[in-house]
Amino acid sequence: MSRGYLWRRVVYGLITLFVIMTLNFVIFRIMPGDPVSLIISPQFTPEMKQLLIERYGLDKPLLSQYFLYLQSMLTFDFGRSFVTRQPVLGELLSRLPNTLMLLGTSFLLNVFIGVWLGIKMATRQGSRMDTAITGVSLFFNAMPAFFIGLLLLLAFGYYWPIFPIRGTMSVPPPTEFWAIILDRIHHLVMPVTAVTLSGYGSWYLYVRNNMVSALGQDFVLTARAKGLPQREVLYRHAFRNVLPPIVTLVFLSLPGLITGAVITETIFSLYGVGRYLVDATLQQDYPVVQGCFYIIALAVLVCNLLADLVYGLVDPRIRLR
Amino acid sequence: MVRKLLAFVVAMSLLVSGAALAQDVAWDVKGPYVDEIILPIIMDQEARIIAIQRGDIHVNPGLTQPSHINRLMADPNIEITVSPGYHMFYLGFNMRRAPLNDITVRRAIAHAINRDEIILSLFEGYMLPLAEFVPPASPFFNPDTDVAYYDPELAKQILDDAGYIMGPNGVRIDPATGQELRRMTIMTPTMEVAATSAMLGEMVAETLRGIGLPVYAEPIDFNVLLDRLDTDLGGDRDFDMYALAWSLGRFPTHLYSLFHSKFDVPGANNMPGLRDAQFDAAAERVWTPRNLDEAMDAAYEAQEILSWLQPYVPLYSRPYMDAFRKDIVTGYVPHLGFGAASNVLNSIWTPLNIRLVDQERGGTVRWVLEQEPQGLNILTHNSAYDSRIFGLVYGPGLIAAEPINNEDLPWEAERWEVGTWTTPEGNEGTKVTYWLRKDITWHDGVPFTAHDVKFTMDYLKEKQVPLYLEVWENYSHSEIIDDYTITVYFNNVSYWYTYNVQSFLAKHIWEDVEDFEAFVPWREPHPTVPGLTKMIGTGPFVFKEYVVGEYVRVERYEDFWAGLDK
Repeated sequence: MSRGYLWRRVVYGLITLFVIMTLNFVIFRIMPGDPVSLIISPQFTPEMKQLLIERYGLDKPLLSQYFLYLQSMLTFDFGRSFVTRQPVLGELLSRLPNTLMLLGTSFLLNVFIGVWLGIKMATRQGSRMDTAITGVSLFFNAMPAFFIGLLLLLAFGYYWPIFPIRGTMSVPPPTEFWAIILDRIHHLVMPVTAVTLSGYGSWYLYVRNNMVSALGQDFVLTARAKGLPQREVLYRHAFRNVLPPIVTLVFLSLPGLITGAVITETIFSLYGVGRYLVDATLQQDYPVVQGCFYIIALAVLVCNLLADLVYGLVDPRIRLR
Repeated sequence: MVRKLLAFVVAMSLLVSGAALAQDVAWDVKGPYVDEIILPIIMDQEARIIAIQRGDIHVNPGLTQPSHINRLMADPNIEITVSPGYHMFYLGFNMRRAPLNDITVRRAIAHAINRDEIILSLFEGYMLPLAEFVPPASPFFNPDTDVAYYDPELAKQILDDAGYIMGPNGVRIDPATGQELRRMTIMTPTMEVAATSAMLGEMVAETLRGIGLPVYAEPIDFNVLLDRLDTDLGGDRDFDMYALAWSLGRFPTHLYSLFHSKFDVPGANNMPGLRDAQFDAAAERVWTPRNLDEAMDAAYEAQEILSWLQPYVPLYSRPYMDAFRKDIVTGYVPHLGFGAASNVLNSIWTPLNIRLVDQERGGTVRWVLEQEPQGLNILTHNSAYDSRIFGLVYGPGLIAAEPINNEDLPWEAERWEVGTWTTPEGNEGTKVTYWLRKDITWHDGVPFTAHDVKFTMDYLKEKQVPLYLEVWENYSHSEIIDDYTITVYFNNVSYWYTYNVQSFLAKHIWEDVEDFEAFVPWREPHPTVPGLTKMIGTGPFVFKEYVVGEYVRVERYEDFWAGLDK
């Protein structure tokens, strides 16, 4: 991989980031209404609205707001939320651990279960087991996460109440280290299960289909003809061929870990980024949505770049220039 | 009147099975009985229902969904209290454009809508029909208002008599143009945002088409809806009708702020565009009464005028339905207009009186928070969830309202006297003198005095705190007579100023706070008392802990002036 290629990608990434930042600013300004008009109360007078507009800095000319916005994005000082009046970065960072814990765990489980099952079922294509697992995976994949969440809530929160139904800790929380760890895991079981059940199916189907295709290729036939053990044929030849797009997919999925899972977060009362972002968008809380979308855009660009770089490493046939 | 009563009975008969009504309840000004209240945050409604059935929480306020109410009513361990609320859901008109600028059309629409059917089909009876502009829970409700009751035949007759005769296509003819009436819409939030509002829009539109008015529901994005209601189009607005709700207060001042012609401007709340000199005069008297009798007279008159002019068709009022684990807690107090557990900032009675069934004093009550608090700063908050904590920590303030009839109850002020003074500009102003209790202390033990009241009022004005504009915009100054007596001066006359005077900022904590928006009192440790934060009040509970995303915990204040041992 040449250094020139790397720099070109970085420059393209920065241009894309600038365009995203500008759109990010413009979109919320051209949306109907403004953060102040969303406060509806008989006591809320035009004078009060004007005071808030001034306090939020929305009385300044748009161009001046835009430059202030660019400055705040580049310095990672996203300002204060219009709603809570707290610094956006602090609020975002305080929500990130829960989101990463939920989505990171589910992501690992999705990839592990999906890839493992996909490989296994590709070798048993057409068997009863393959039909059953593919059917179940399709079923869960088609089910919305909130529906699975509610079913889990009813099943294991109400009828057979073995799991907690809210938050990430007991109230009040335990004080001993291992008790805290176990308590956290206990609280995460249902939300992680909900996200995993609704998410592993797509990985499974992708890997299974690619593996079925790879297993029919001439190089696999050759490997088998050479008398190589099944395990080696499967993992060193067929799977190696499927690996590059999976790695790409993994990297492209990583930004999703910080965008949150709004419905699962709501059902299980998790203090996460998803709910924060959706609430802020509905309330037109500009500093929050701008800050969050900026971070997400950065994550997408970085992960895209990483995916390109790693692709070359896992597939020796690819040489980037 | 008979029809109104019938509708009320239908709704209430569905409500009362297994429910406790306010009149039956005993309450005391002394308390609290429990040692602590823990408020776990549970955002999902279904999860809250499961949580109270499991016993994870003991108090679940603000039930709204019939399926949840039915489920909890069937649970022998749960009691639901019902309190008529200060709430109004209504159909609003754009009175600037034809044919809705014609009073006969608006009155015909008011007669055509069947509130009972809406309430029974959309809410299984768990709402109270409302035809007046002040909810019945308010002492300012005028029971003799001549409202437009449900009578579809009368609705048709009114339209016929006004010349809106039925055309060949089932659409009435506009007498002004000789053409069929134009297509009109009712804007509502979408099904995803507010399902019952969207369905209500469909129901009302279908009803109105039945009397020959070409009206169709228009569910739209909530931001767009608000934008269209507010945007001035050269003297018009871009809507015909809309369906929305207001949360109202104890006093009828909304009659002024929602309908006075002064507020028919963008950014204000007179969306229908009502402009009526006779009403304006009555509304101004509602806004600036010299005493409660004058306010009552003005409110009665304003309601009568509004019922005739019909800028809205009020449809229903939401009662507060709060669920309690009756096998675990008792002593909850339904408060007329505020509920037993829904509005702690306005109603301290349940926190003071609630106790565990199996022990007279002590123990922990778990009272759910439906959303994350939005910062827990009393000067910047605007959510009901922050207010619940503020109610526990700061208490009702100088004057409380008793729960049965909402009459004034001396709280931090033992008594008060309202008078007038002449401002430096020569105008007549209001002055209110408060005699404070001498046994009140802040949670850190510092005495609560007139200096704190003056400081609070001065601070709000000096910092121009937006949320309290109504409090400080006409505030002139305060005069401390002695440590426990203060006179507060306002620049014009209104009896409501009596209730505007605030006392929640501890001078010794807040006097060093320059930027009140950046200040997070619950995060900063108290300068002298270990275990406390700077979020201190004079209320019955001391703020102890807020684990973000998880729960808030408050403890009984040992030296609370109305404590059980005082």
